[in-house]
Amino acid sequence: MIHNVRYLIREGIRSIWSNRTMSLASIGVLVSCLLLTGAAILFSMNISNAMEAVEGTNSVKIYMDKDLPVLASLKAGEEIKKLDNIKRCQFVSRDDAIENVMEMLGEKDSTLLKDMTGSDNPLPDAFQVSFKDLSKYKDTVAQILKIEGVSSVNDYSDIAAKLTNLHRLVTTVGFWIVLLLSLVSLFIISNTIRVTMFSRRLEISIMKSVGATNWFVRVPFVVEGILIGLISGAVGSLLLRLLYDKLTGTLTSITLFAPLAIGEIQWKITLLFLLAGSLFGALGGAISIGKYLKKEGGEIVDW
Amino acid sequence: MGIRKYGEMELIDFQNVSKIYSNGTEALKNVNLHVDNGEFVFIVGSSGAGKSTFLKLITCEERPSEGEIVVGEQKLSQVKRGDVPYLRRKMGMVFQDFRLIQKMTVYENVAFAMHVIGASSRDIRRRVPYILGLVNLQEKADCHPRELSGGEQQRVGLARALINSPRLIIADEPTGNIDPALSFEIVDLLSEINKRGTTILMVTHEHSLVRHFARRVIEIHGGTVVADSCNWEARHDS
Repeated sequence: MIHNVRYLIREGIRSIWSNRTMSLASIGVLVSCLLLTGAAILFSMNISNAMEAVEGTNSVKIYMDKDLPVLASLKAGEEIKKLDNIKRCQFVSRDDAIENVMEMLGEKDSTLLKDMTGSDNPLPDAFQVSFKDLSKYKDTVAQILKIEGVSSVNDYSDIAAKLTNLHRLVTTVGFWIVLLLSLVSLFIISNTIRVTMFSRRLEISIMKSVGATNWFVRVPFVVEGILIGLISGAVGSLLLRLLYDKLTGTLTSITLFAPLAIGEIQWKITLLFLLAGSLFGALGGAISIGKYLKKEGGEIVDW
Repeated sequence: MGIRKYGEMELIDFQNVSKIYSNGTEALKNVNLHVDNGEFVFIVGSSGAGKSTFLKLITCEERPSEGEIVVGEQKLSQVKRGDVPYLRRKMGMVFQDFRLIQKMTVYENVAFAMHVIGASSRDIRRRVPYILGLVNLQEKADCHPRELSGGEQQRVGLARALINSPRLIIADEPTGNIDPALSFEIVDLLSEINKRGTTILMVTHEHSLVRHFARRVIEIHGGTVVADSCNWEARHDS
């Protein structure tokens, strides 16, 4: 049995080598497919990351009516907290707000505002609020605006909506691209293996004539497919890492964008690529040889 | 019509066998014949007579449209697709075009037939030299087919057919691609193998061989068995 397995694996490797041009083409297409899949996954993860950042740090500010008493503001705050989509709601009094502004301006410039405290403070009371789900941003803001005493809400809806749309777009487009490329990969791999099969049809005919089982005839071609898939998976994962590092390095240096570190998920991506690659390879090999054995591969006498 | 050695066990039995292909071609019509264990039978007939279909039915490459074929103790109608390889292991096939793998040596070509049915390396190392000795090719074990004459290449084919100890050798025009002088050598070798108890079915167009070896001859014409006899020569000449 072990001898047989060794023999079959050796045959698979031999096929790849003797048919290296087509094997390289298959590897190229499969690597492209895996790279695009990986890029879509990483892009999606980065957008989710960015959405979390928007949800977390860039929380929405709700301004109350300027002359609203503090107690009324706090009562409105209680109502805001009761809404479904509210994750966090923090009261920022008008005194705190002016102090924050003065801090931001620094000692020298803040003297300009020194008279604007107490009843001369032009700022209203406010609430710093973060939402659970940014896609419900507009509805939640509309609900908040209905609460008595609320004057305005500073608008991050554009960013939220854009990120949500981008996420949807990447997911949808990524899905179709990956599906299309998967089919192309499957087609290319099965054709590569078909070429190997035609170059080995004499051997197959002899195998069939001496009583080799279909399983025995099939295995080297499936092994060939799996090896093509594994090589593609390894190359794809390495390339993705290199390209991602290069791209995020450049982006970080020119923007404030903080991309997801690939290091933590590298092994998951590699595993996914190897599994997907070998699955596609095995499937491509099995499809080709299955078709062949049903038709031409069964012929012995008039081969 | 034919002469049967009654009392011997039947290896091949065709009972009212007909074969009509999907394009309507009637390749065999109501064929009844028996081949006993240990017989040497020539199958003759013109091109398109139905000889290939006859062989294909025995190897289960095709199934009959009507009738029943029994090989050994097995009714072929009951042999499932997955069991066909195991049936074929009881047969050895020799082809007109030798069908040797050019990149393999003589030894490897013969060993290949053992590899693919899952024989162990030890058995292969023990059996291949023995069979190469039977066909007088021990000295050529490391040669590639292109370095051999047609007769030698066919002997490699014969060695490969014999390597898994089949009960039946099916030789499809084995002398068709070699010099006439060497043809006798090949049939001599088949006769030797037959003497050891292996049944031989040999399709041929060469009447000189059939006359010379004076064995049972089945003549197929237009899909039917028109003659089955040991004195085919006299009948044919008349």
